[in-house]
Amino acid sequence: MAETSEAQASASASAPGGDAGGDDDKHDERMLECNICLDTARDAVVSMCGHLFCWPCLHQWLETRPSRQVCPVCKAAISRDKVIPLYGRGNTKQEDPRNKVPPRPAGQRTEPESNSGFPGFGFGEGFHMSFGIGAFPFGVFTSTFNFGDPRPSAAPRGTAQYEEEQFLSKIFLWVAIVFVLWLVFA
Amino acid sequence: MANIAAKRIKREFKEVMKSEEVAGGAIKLELLDNSWTELQGEIAGPPDTPYEGGTFLLEIKVPETYPFNPPKIRFMTKIWHPNVSSVTGAICLDILKDQWAAALTLRTVLLSIQALLSAAEPNDPQDAVVAKQYKENPTLFALTARHWTHAYAGGPAAIRDFDAKVQRLLDMGVDEHQARVALSTYDWELERATEQLFNREE
Repeated sequence: MAETSEAQASASASAPGGDAGGDDDKHDERMLECNICLDTARDAVVSMCGHLFCWPCLHQWLETRPSRQVCPVCKAAISRDKVIPLYGRGNTKQEDPRNKVPPRPAGQRTEPESNSGFPGFGFGEGFHMSFGIGAFPFGVFTSTFNFGDPRPSAAPRGTAQYEEEQFLSKIFLWVAIVFVLWLVFA
Repeated sequence: MANIAAKRIKREFKEVMKSEEVAGGAIKLELLDNSWTELQGEIAGPPDTPYEGGTFLLEIKVPETYPFNPPKIRFMTKIWHPNVSSVTGAICLDILKDQWAAALTLRTVLLSIQALLSAAEPNDPQDAVVAKQYKENPTLFALTARHWTHAYAGGPAAIRDFDAKVQRLLDMGVDEHQARVALSTYDWELERATEQLFNREE
């Protein structure tokens, strides 16, 4: 309470109109308070429903409930793109508050986390693990696990490369069958 | 960002102190520690309810993430109400959970809790036993709530019949609060309450 009366005293002292003007000033100030931190709004933005916030405060509110983005005052739908920055005259550099940290709503979101593959295997980019018996052409028997390895994708259907791949895979299949038969009957 | 909580509570505290509700004695707010994280609220039982004339204390814990997350509030004064646990004092109120909004303040929350005392929500109960009585036997519910207000919240109206029954159980060596809970639960039928109390002890 002591602080309040001090604040009041200084407000009325600075107001040219004396005591009568002091109350009005105070009322005006309250009009410009952020609805979240209750302080005078800095980097002010206003929602479509007309409610005033500090951009950092509103940003944190939106981050807290990504699935339920509503106005903290009236619970109207709200989003980072649909707030308007306010520029007063006193401020010399008029930069969009949303461009500062925390980042401006549009276009500066952090990228979604890259898929880091198997959390258990932290061996860098491409980690191969092979089990198997046999040597070269019988490599078809090995089961190969590739984690996070950018394997060349299959060639598009219809191209010459596609035909070639199909042909090769058929040959390997036959070789494999012959090998199995040889193992069984030999 | 953590100090935004303390800063806001300080501001709210000042505002509550200046508010007309505090002046009118409807709500009160007190600080319990210097870190602005634990407060004690007080609400007056609203007129024309069984809680009239009672004073109810609330424990208020302010999380570090306030005001982005709601304060944790429970009744410290025992109360018979469908949306308040008669055991723990936990409150079932949407704005204290998923309907919280950052612009709500301790003042508006205390007023909402006071409004909850006037308008119970028996279809979304916190205490199933109380809610059942509220729906099936509203007259008995109102008497029971009034009796609890008298016993725990300094309410003016004693219910003689109920006091006598509690006294009967006290004479049998039952703890006073346990006796009151058992009687309230069994619609003040002394026999059933006694049976339940002594069966449980075996």
